[in-house]
Amino acid sequence: MDNELGEIQAADVRMHLAVCSGCALVCEDFSSILDVCTTEPASGLVPPNSQALWCRINNIIENENKPVPPETEQPSGRFWHFSLIQVSAAVLCIAVVSSLLTFVTIKNYTQPATDDFTTRSAATQTTFEKVLSKVGLTETPQEARNTRLKQQQAAIDYWHARVQTRRVQWDRTTREAFDRNLQAINETVNDYTMILQKDPYDEISGEMLDTVLDDKMNLLRDFSDL
Amino acid sequence: MSAHVVGTDIMICRVNNRKRLNGPAKTTILLTVVFFLSVFVGIVPAQKKFSRTYPAGQNIRLQLMNRTGTVTVEGWSRAEVSITASLEAPAANIAPQNLSGTIVINLIRDNQGRNDVGNVNFTIRVPYASIVDIETKIGNLSVSNVSGGLVRAHISSEGDITLMNISAGAVSAENVLGDIFFDGEIQQEGNYRFTSMRGNINLRIPFNSSFKMVATAPSTRNISIGACSGANFGYFGDGRRVVGRCGNGSATLTVTNQRGNIGFIRR
Repeated sequence: MDNELGEIQAADVRMHLAVCSGCALVCEDFSSILDVCTTEPASGLVPPNSQALWCRINNIIENENKPVPPETEQPSGRFWHFSLIQVSAAVLCIAVVSSLLTFVTIKNYTQPATDDFTTRSAATQTTFEKVLSKVGLTETPQEARNTRLKQQQAAIDYWHARVQTRRVQWDRTTREAFDRNLQAINETVNDYTMILQKDPYDEISGEMLDTVLDDKMNLLRDFSDL
Repeated sequence: MSAHVVGTDIMICRVNNRKRLNGPAKTTILLTVVFFLSVFVGIVPAQKKFSRTYPAGQNIRLQLMNRTGTVTVEGWSRAEVSITASLEAPAANIAPQNLSGTIVINLIRDNQGRNDVGNVNFTIRVPYASIVDIETKIGNLSVSNVSGGLVRAHISSEGDITLMNISAGAVSAENVLGDIFFDGEIQQEGNYRFTSMRGNINLRIPFNSSFKMVATAPSTRNISIGACSGANFGYFGDGRRVVGRCGNGSATLTVTNQRGNIGFIRR
């Protein structure tokens, strides 16, 4: 294009451009630029305010080459600014609370409530249990017993209603035997109820009352299918 | 000597009287006998018999639930289970099942919906090593000569429980009104439970038995531990409960009699 090549080299280049479309396009671009440069006046080629254009170009280039600044540390709140002692105390508190929760869970798991609190008196409560009862986290033995009694009474009422529907069809012998046994159980229940009214902390009577109410429920249930 | 003579005279007189019976007298006596026989037949309820035998291995299990009547279970040396029952009128339905080593007799299920069912008195013979689990609503239960893994006798209401010559790892006897008597061995690591509302509980066990015990008789406070007097026992709750250990205490014995006595007898 600038007539700088020898004849042989120029011939080789032309031959190459004839078969290589990529190089031919580049050559065409250069030719166009040269044509513009040679045909257009210089004033037409200079953009208006070229100095400002160069400044913008320079700025863009500098921004691309500038190293990425390290992330500046965000200003943190006061919440995480604890001393070592404070962190240690927090960890210790978490450990103690989790240990207590684990202990309570295991204790409740290994000692069924129905056989334990319902039949136990305050005298047999551990200090830990007393503390829990005081703060209202667990029931006292009396409260647990009352809860249990309500549950048992509900079951007894249910089976009693079923027996009442069935007993009209029993023969006289069966009815009399049932009544005798129910009466014996009721007498025993009354005995323990009176003892517990006088002495709510009587452990044996509490346990026996629980047992007798179970017996009463079993008697009613067994006769409900006759 | 004189008495013998007098007795002989009376016999001679009776013989002479018999010889003097005439035709009308015979008829009268005959009619009287017929009358009483007819009355007797009318009073005594008609009874049916039930009998069945099942082949059994040594580890068979008997599971019986009766309505009313007496149940007697006896161990024997034969490898079979023999069930006989007398059924009072109105006769109950009995349909035993042999379910892979378990003989199941359930009169509650077999007579569901029937309002009037007579007593059924069972006599069942099982191999010595059988597991016996029997229940009844009303009536006595008796088990003897059984040395299987479990003997359970449960009466829903009233009736006596008698367990004789029992050698089982787990024994349970429970009734409301009635006596409980146990005569047998306390096995190592065994579990023995006797519960009654009102009656006497007597346990006859070998002198060298080893167990830990909780015996409670809150009403009578009458707990006689004669057979275990050398052991380490303590009284609690003003004598309402005895807790202790006999020997190394590997077995567990729980006896509760709400309104009756508890007694231990040396075997």
